[in-house]
Parts: sequence; structure tokens; C-alpha cells
Amino acid sequence: MNSSFHPGESSSHPFHEPTPLPYSIPKVNEVGATSAPLKSSAFFIGAYCKEFNEDFMLCKAENREPAHCLKEGRRVTRCAIDLINKMRENCLQQFEAHWNCLELNNQQYGPCRKPERALNKCMFEKLGLVKTIPGTAPGQTPIHEVDNPLYGRMQK
Amino acid sequence: MPVPWEALIPFGLVTALFGTAGTLLNVSKRAQNQGKPPRYHIDSWEEMMMDRDQRLTGHARKQTVCFETSSVWYAERTQ
Repeated sequence: MNSSFHPGESSSHPFHEPTPLPYSIPKVNEVGATSAPLKSSAFFIGAYCKEFNEDFMLCKAENREPAHCLKEGRRVTRCAIDLINKMRENCLQQFEAHWNCLELNNQQYGPCRKPERALNKCMFEKLGLVKTIPGTAPGQTPIHEVDNPLYGRMQK
Repeated sequence: MPVPWEALIPFGLVTALFGTAGTLLNVSKRAQNQGKPPRYHIDSWEEMMMDRDQRLTGHARKQTVCFETSSVWYAERTQ
């Protein structure tokens, strides 16, 4: 057996899989949002799509193969798209203000609390969704509700 | 008694040159990032997301909510 070492070469273009999925699998559009809107809506996706996300994670914990969790994956995608569309219908101004602020601040939540509070208020009024940070200790105020946090943004 | 204003010229020159260099650098960085300050402390997750943004919109800093994505595989050629 020839055991000489062949180093891999990384190609200059990433690999696009050319064959489409089989026709038996329902086609679901991907979430077309880029990183800043996704980061802005992240906690609301967590609140709105909790059951679907948990189903998907439990399914993946059983078996990591891609084919095993396609159905749960489609549900997650549809739920996220649904929420982003609802956010844009109801709270477009606050949503855009928040993710534009994130883009100007290295996509960190800390410097953007004011637009975030406006967005949270609008989301609660229109859609009844609340941002909760999982893992906050019971007596502690979550960081997004602290009025004068100790740590600010990095000095410009 | 005449004030030695010539002695302040070097201070003025140094300040002006530092200021110009700093401003030009800032303008250059903002121009590369579509008018926004550059991203820093980018980890692998952020790099992956910025690469995805590039595939979606054509520029790593341009944000949108509308298009379909395409997934890519980071593969290497062996043998």
C-alpha cells in the first residue's frame, strides 16, 4: 500500500454543488437576510420559533447526517422567513434603524441599546414577542435592560 | 517685545500633517467599507457570515433582506 503523503490544495473558488435536490423534497426558499438583519432579529427568532428550533436540535442530536433532519430543517427555515416578513410589515422603521446601528458598531449590541429598546417595544406591542437572554441568573437584570452599564464600546 | 511666532510653525506643521494622514486613512478605510467604519475582532463565525453576505449581495458590507442564498462547500483537492 502506498502511504506517501499528498498535501491537499485549496482551490480558488468554493465548490457549488451543481445537482439539484430530488423533486420529492419540497422546495423552500432560504432565509435571504444578511448578517445585520439576522443579528437584529435573532432573539425574536428564538422567541417565535422556539419549538421548531428545539425539534431540529434534538433531531440533529440523534443523527448528524443531513438527510435525517430535512423536514425539521424546512420548518425552521419557514418559521424564520415568516417572522422576518412579519417584522418588516409591522416594525420596519425600528428594525432598519437597529440593524443600521449594528452595522456602524461592529455588529455589537452594546452601543445600540436605544434603537434596540424602540424595536423591542414595537415588537411587544405588535407581535407580543419579548427578548429574553437565556441563562440570566434569576435575580440579575438582563444586560439589555440595565440603564447605565459599566462597559461601553471600544474607544474610537 | 516681538512674539517668536516662527517657533510655532513646526508645531503647526506636525499637527497638520498628522491630521491629514489620519483623515486620509480614515477616508480610505470608510471608502473600502461602503461608508461604514471597518469591522474588527473578526472571528471565524463573523468571517463566515461576511463571506455569506458577499455571496448574497456582492460586497461583504452590503446588507439586504431579500435574496435567496446558495450554499458552498469549502473543499480541497487531494491527490
